Amino acid sequence: MNPFLVGPDCLACYVLTFGASPLVSSDNGKRKTVTENQTETESNAADSASGSLEIGGLAGVFGTSDHKKLGRLYILLGLTGGMLALILNALLRFERINVGSVGVLDFGSSNQFFQTWSLSRTSLLFFCILPLLIGLATYLIPLQIGAPALSFPRAAALAFWAWLIGILIHVVTVFADGGLGEPDPTSQFAQGMDPEATELSMLSIAMVVFALLLGTVCVLATIISQRPQGMTLFELPLFSWSILVAGGIWLLALPVWLSNLAISWVDFQGGDALRYGTVENIWDQLSWLWSQPMVFAFAIPVLGIAGDIIPVASGVHQRKYRLQQIAIGVLGGLSFGAFAQPFFNPDVANQAVFVSMGLLVILPVLAFMGGLVDTALKGKPSISAHLILSLTGMLALLVAAGTSAFHVSGPALGAIQEIDDSWLNGLIMWLRDVQGTVLSTAVMEHVLIASLIASIAGLYYWAPKIFGYQLNRQAGILASLAFLGGLALSGGTNIINGILDEGDEVYNSSAYEGVWDTGAVEFFNIVGGIGSILLLIGIGLVVLDVTVSVILRKGDIENINDPWSGHTLEWATESPPSIGNFDEIPVVDNERPLLSPVVTGGNEL
Amino acid sequence: MNMATTNLPAAPPARARNLLVATGFAIAGMLMYFGGIFGVYLRERSQVRSIGGAWIPEKARIELTPPGMIVWTLLISVAVMQWAVYSIKRDDRQHALLAVGTTLVMGAMVLVQHGWQLSQMNLVADEGPTTAATLIYTIVGSYLVAFVIGMIFVALMGFRALAGQYSSRQTDGIVAASLYWYSLVFIYFIIWIAVFIAK
Repeated sequence: MNPFLVGPDCLACYVLTFGASPLVSSDNGKRKTVTENQTETESNAADSASGSLEIGGLAGVFGTSDHKKLGRLYILLGLTGGMLALILNALLRFERINVGSVGVLDFGSSNQFFQTWSLSRTSLLFFCILPLLIGLATYLIPLQIGAPALSFPRAAALAFWAWLIGILIHVVTVFADGGLGEPDPTSQFAQGMDPEATELSMLSIAMVVFALLLGTVCVLATIISQRPQGMTLFELPLFSWSILVAGGIWLLALPVWLSNLAISWVDFQGGDALRYGTVENIWDQLSWLWSQPMVFAFAIPVLGIAGDIIPVASGVHQRKYRLQQIAIGVLGGLSFGAFAQPFFNPDVANQAVFVSMGLLVILPVLAFMGGLVDTALKGKPSISAHLILSLTGMLALLVAAGTSAFHVSGPALGAIQEIDDSWLNGLIMWLRDVQGTVLSTAVMEHVLIASLIASIAGLYYWAPKIFGYQLNRQAGILASLAFLGGLALSGGTNIINGILDEGDEVYNSSAYEGVWDTGAVEFFNIVGGIGSILLLIGIGLVVLDVTVSVILRKGDIENINDPWSGHTLEWATESPPSIGNFDEIPVVDNERPLLSPVVTGGNEL
Repeated sequence: MNMATTNLPAAPPARARNLLVATGFAIAGMLMYFGGIFGVYLRERSQVRSIGGAWIPEKARIELTPPGMIVWTLLISVAVMQWAVYSIKRDDRQHALLAVGTTLVMGAMVLVQHGWQLSQMNLVADEGPTTAATLIYTIVGSYLVAFVIGMIFVALMGFRALAGQYSSRQTDGIVAASLYWYSLVFIYFIIWIAVFIAK
């Protein structure tokens, strides 16, 4: 077969329909003309009962509303976006080697440096992390809760295509000199910015966020309204539960971010901007999404993915299940950061709520990890790529939470400072200064990379279900090591450079004015650059593995329906599932329906 | 025990209320969107006033009559929309459609009143001394977008009711549209107070 043909056997269709046979709908060899756009879950179930009705060819790609195809598309494009984001991340890190100047990698101007910098953040979140998470959720949530399809499948398809078009426009507009702002409005480069491209950039990113919200609503509606008999919210698998919590936070916070964007856009277009739409202010109003506490909302599924993987890898049920759910919920509550907008409230970083959230965010992570360790100790964990990746993701999140606590420790100590002690004053002043440094970049980097690693852990775990092939174990472990080393070097050196007072606004020469030791900062930026290369190698290995194992069909297919002896409903159906997902709607009475009787006892909450 | 009762098949599981659930999520997102804008508006206004500045430009004319009329129109439309829900729950499709149609007419009136008000306000964005014009246009413009979406939603559900999709056994569409409509009225009530009355 030539995978580059256009038609039922074209590459795109090939990628989307791994393991699903046949590619073209058929019934005794006769081609069917039935549309697969299902508006009601009942019709999906009916299709399931009547056999395979998949549409092949490009029509099957562009016209699909099947949650499994949409999920695969999100995941594959999310990995691609991750490559782009990590390439930009590496370029920017090497740019920082020569502190206080631009031109090491010939960005040409502070303006282009800044646009690349903002693009690296928007692409990491909107082109990689959220698509990966929503892709996994779109594919897996109906399977985990025993539903025949996603709620509002056509809205989910609309969300996917709107996201894809929006993010491509956004990337193009940045290359057309229309990035989200310029830090120095007096520079000649600011005058050279293309305002129409900037306006289009703002509209396209708004379209992206709106699309992702629409996709989230489809997933959340599925969780709420399509659970089978006996499955309360407390019996949801932890991944589904974490998506419910995370999606709820996204749904409450991202519209606030959209409102910031709308205000900037109205001020920006049509004439001379007064405040919100001036080039130096646009990014400042939007940056809170990448700062603590909000950035932790994009790492909530890290817990859910680890919570599904580790008990299965250990061969026992998750102990203290309710506590694990509560920990995820608490992390969600502590990550709602729409109020923390320094542009409108410059003193927010010193206020009690912000500081408390920064300090407390480590507690649910620790509690959840404690539950996982407790579970693993009761069983015999078998080493696998997804297990190591999920542990790496948890570790990265723990470091992020610890760094977050350090980040707010200055105001926290200041609040309880009643002792007139000169050394304490000095310490507090130093800790307060740390807030404006790359330490905040370190928090963001650890959180988002933790989310990326956890998504890849999920990909390795659920690959048999998603693609019909297992991914390569060795490649996954190597990728995990690359991520671990890369994050230690890249994120770790950002923490050190934060302590050395490298300013967070690395695109401005003023960021380096208070640096303790320029030579040390430059050295650690070289080490950080090596770390960012390792991160790139990590995701490159994953992309290569997906290409070889799935697209070239070299992956293992032994016992493909349930290779890990999973505990949740997605493992009760074939891999990949046919339309309708399940032959009959399952009845559930606990959170581990496939692990019965319970393997080990224990005190449940 | 009555044998006829015991021989009955088990009741089917409760029907998924997808549309109501999704509408609830959409309303939550919309409220947060407007909450974000209101937060910025109120903070900026209080900062300007705290230093003794004037928030609304002198040459701007913000009269209370048009927004007052809009509020009254919307309040009446709430009763009319509830009439649609009441009727569809009683299989009175004729009156349900009449109520939906009347709500849409009132929605069109609200759009017209907004247009007239905006044309009379003499607010020019991007001209000082404050950013009031920018924020008011953002609030009202966003509201009009949400309002048009609401009208489309109500109309779509009305057409579905006309086609027989909704009845006393299945009222989700009309109820969902009415919830969205009520949230629009609630948001305008906030705009009325925060932007126009307390200007």
